[in-house]
Amino acid sequence: MNVFLLYENSDRLGEKPYYDGKSIVQDLGLKALFLAAAKEVIYENESVKRIEKEDIYIQDTMRKIMLVPLEDKEAMTYRQEVVRDAFNREELMRELYSISSHLLQEWNKLGRGLKDKLSQSNPVTKLTSDIMVAHLFYDALVRIRELLEDPAQELTSRGLKGLRKRLREEFSPERQEYVRKILQDVSFYVDGMDQEDEARDQVVKPRILVECGLEDGLKFSSMRLQEVSSENTKFYRPGSTMDKLQDFKNSRIPDSFSTVKDVAIGEQADQLEYAIVSYIMGNLGKFMRDFNGFFDALHLQTAFYVGAINLKHHMERFSLAWCFPTVCEPENLSFQDLKEFVMCLEQRVKAVGNTCDMKRKELLIVTGANQGGKSTFLRSIGIAQVMMQSGLMVTAVEFRSGLFPRLFMHFTRREDSAMNSGRLDEELSRMDKIVENLRETSGPAMMLLNESFATTTEKEGSGIAYDIIKALNEYGVKILTVTHLLTFAQRMYEEYRDNPESTVEFLSAERKPDGTRTFHMIQHAPELTSFGLDLYEEIVEKK
Amino acid sequence: MAERVSILDKWSAPHGEEERKAFFLDLNVSQIIDKMSIRWGKSIRKFYSYFPADAACEAYRREVYGDIKREEIYHCCMSFMDALGELEDMQRQKSKVKSAMQVSVWQIREIDAYCRAFDALEVALSKAKPNSQGLTKFLKYLQEYLASPSYQKMREQCGSVLRELIGFRFLITYEKDRMIVSLGECEGKYEEFLKTFGDPDRPPLVSPFLASNMISELENSCLEILAKKRPQIFQALQKTAEEYGAYDDSILMQFAKELPFYLSFCSFQREMEELGFRFCTPKAEEGERMEAKGLYDLALAIVANREGRKVVSNDFYYGENESFFVLTGPNQGGKTTFARSLGQLVYFTKMGLDVPAEYANVHYFKDIQTHFSVEESIETGRGKLKEELIRLAPMMEDHQSGTFVVINELFTTAASYDARIMGGKVLTHFIELGCQGIYVTHLKELTEIHPKVVSLRAMLDQERLQTFEIRRSEAEESACAANQVNKYHLTYEQLKERL
Repeated sequence: MNVFLLYENSDRLGEKPYYDGKSIVQDLGLKALFLAAAKEVIYENESVKRIEKEDIYIQDTMRKIMLVPLEDKEAMTYRQEVVRDAFNREELMRELYSISSHLLQEWNKLGRGLKDKLSQSNPVTKLTSDIMVAHLFYDALVRIRELLEDPAQELTSRGLKGLRKRLREEFSPERQEYVRKILQDVSFYVDGMDQEDEARDQVVKPRILVECGLEDGLKFSSMRLQEVSSENTKFYRPGSTMDKLQDFKNSRIPDSFSTVKDVAIGEQADQLEYAIVSYIMGNLGKFMRDFNGFFDALHLQTAFYVGAINLKHHMERFSLAWCFPTVCEPENLSFQDLKEFVMCLEQRVKAVGNTCDMKRKELLIVTGANQGGKSTFLRSIGIAQVMMQSGLMVTAVEFRSGLFPRLFMHFTRREDSAMNSGRLDEELSRMDKIVENLRETSGPAMMLLNESFATTTEKEGSGIAYDIIKALNEYGVKILTVTHLLTFAQRMYEEYRDNPESTVEFLSAERKPDGTRTFHMIQHAPELTSFGLDLYEEIVEKK
Repeated sequence: MAERVSILDKWSAPHGEEERKAFFLDLNVSQIIDKMSIRWGKSIRKFYSYFPADAACEAYRREVYGDIKREEIYHCCMSFMDALGELEDMQRQKSKVKSAMQVSVWQIREIDAYCRAFDALEVALSKAKPNSQGLTKFLKYLQEYLASPSYQKMREQCGSVLRELIGFRFLITYEKDRMIVSLGECEGKYEEFLKTFGDPDRPPLVSPFLASNMISELENSCLEILAKKRPQIFQALQKTAEEYGAYDDSILMQFAKELPFYLSFCSFQREMEELGFRFCTPKAEEGERMEAKGLYDLALAIVANREGRKVVSNDFYYGENESFFVLTGPNQGGKTTFARSLGQLVYFTKMGLDVPAEYANVHYFKDIQTHFSVEESIETGRGKLKEELIRLAPMMEDHQSGTFVVINELFTTAASYDARIMGGKVLTHFIELGCQGIYVTHLKELTEIHPKVVSLRAMLDQERLQTFEIRRSEAEESACAANQVNKYHLTYEQLKERL
């Protein structure tokens, strides 16, 4: 059965993850976000009591799912609906997650994945574990049905409503009853697996009625089952008076023989029991196959939504406003009070929000004061973009952007300086691979450049940046760049300043006349100094 | 019914265990037979080395094969083989059990399978009306046999015992550590329930005791109770089985053994034809010249098809007073392949089967002899020459007159002068012995050794690449080296251009 909580028509993650997800995680600092998503915030009397230890599975899942972008508006809306339901019915989502977690854990204990080895070594062990796994499936499905059918839930998302509908169809009450009856009928086979003989006064025995022929050389052939059931009988300790009396009574049954007196016959009766139970369980094969991948998918998908719930609590913990982003044309980008979420999580500070409205802009060049919040600004857009493209909310009052399944990071990596090939070489090689990828794929593309080509002289770097950025931009890649390359920025500015149709936007980190930084980005022509001198003065000369 | 009826032999020659012919390996006929025995088992091999006694016998087989090839007869024979498979299955089961009662059950089922197989064969074959002497004779025998009162009685009696056994059902109730046995049937209520949401792919319920042929203690306990409750059925079974201990007819069983010879080739031929390879029934007109059109190496066709390579076919004829081809030409030019295809042509004609060609007229030969140099042999020089001569000597004895001879690259390790003289002697000897054949060599002088020799050459195209075409043409000094240099673009001009 399909879960379809992430995508309307698939339980598989999209086939096209971001190019170089590792860079995205590293450059945007998403590790901290994944970690927060894996930590539940526990409240007491409406204030935070404690933060739970992280659930590693959720952490991995967030990473897995967030690095595969949704490709269209419809898919994003579908997922946002489920996130909304999850926010409204937190307990339901957490419960679905824990049911699937628990089931998978128990299933592993019963030797999932080791099946082949087990069946070779001991078929009886495999059969009993099959029965127990079927029990697990049955119990979990019944519980999931109860949860989803609870009238108090008021589900609104297509995702959860669809799940409920499919469960009604594929685990219909009739099928549920069928599975229940089979598990009940063969329960004698797993009876007493967890009890000591001494501790019980009841024992479950089979009653099997089977029709046979003899055409295969007088051996039992063409068997047909008439009746199979498990019956509770009183347990008598072997050798006790009651046990002997029972034996005597049984031996008076005409045309019968005992299956316990003779060792060989006893073993053969066990074989017959095994064959029959195994045959009956074979009928649950389709049921088991139908739901074989279901719990894995449910586990993965609900983990994402539990992660979303946790993220929301962390946002609220830092009093960050959040909203569900909306999709607009790719040449537009506007947001109100957008904050850099990762920095808030890591440094527990309240970040400065930025507001922007860029219509028909394909290239954004951010220049200006050091330590003025340029990189933070760039990252805040990147993070919001990634969260949006996985169907999550973003830390802004409002956020509108296009969808860019092809999202590239080109950040200067100071920690890469030790590489042999030289830093510029490394930067260019990374760019080469990105270009190769652009050549091979299609769809809207966005690239964030942070201090690219600053590893050589300003003049050279400007030349490189100009050629590359211009070419990419003309090819149709939306580019947001933070740069110190003022020659480059100036040249761009000269080219576009008098063009009313200009698709280039220039922003600058605001700096008050007295030199103080507001960490706000404002529309501003690039200047020839980035005011590093100020910082130098401030820090070195301590003015 | 003392007369022998065989679809392999026109005369009453007994089947002998024939030795595997020496030429099987040289002509790659063994590869073809191996391919066929994947499906038909190794038992067919001996028939492929069983030669017809004379030209009439060869024609007799050709007629039978002509019938077998007919769609309706082919299918009726294939179904018959399936039915025989069932019979063999019963025999295998019977051989594995010990208890007399069990043997009886399998014996009765064996007879039943036997009757069903031949009854069905008779119906289908009568309808198809065979034309060949062999099949007509067999069908007549079969019809008489099936109509005989003794066969009718056996069929009737076994059928009734078997029906009763199959219809016999009983019930086992297993509860409270006891098995209770009773007669009767039930409606399989639980099976009905299982079906409602069951798995259509589930394996059926099979008794665990069927894994062994022996009756288990548990089954035996049930049988003891059943024998008391219904003694008649068990007695009738044993009595009938004893009465028909030896039920099968030797001529019918002989037919069943011989049939796979034709069927194996026919099914193989159909498979190859589907892949686009042509076959024809060779004419055997002694009055017309021996020739073939579109002849190819059947063993190569199997391999080439698997590897997606093309197979080249060739035409040839032996004119009046021509009895030996001397084939020269470049290495890897298709010489050996052509020699093999010629040998295969004679072989399959001899066996009465179709041949891998579009058209063929092949004369009758007493036998086929081949001599291929053993390339893998680590022996060189004198050792190898000695080995070659030892193999050659018996081929050249007087009684080998009238055979078809295929010789591939003799005396390659001897000095050229010696090789020319020895080669000439060998060739002349075979021609004068009245043999016909082909001699593949690098020595162009051999093409002029005798008036009955025809010179054939493996041709190259304008770029001096191999075409694998074989034509009547004067011999030419071997050009294999230049050819290979060319292929690798390493001639002086090429190198100048490249560098």
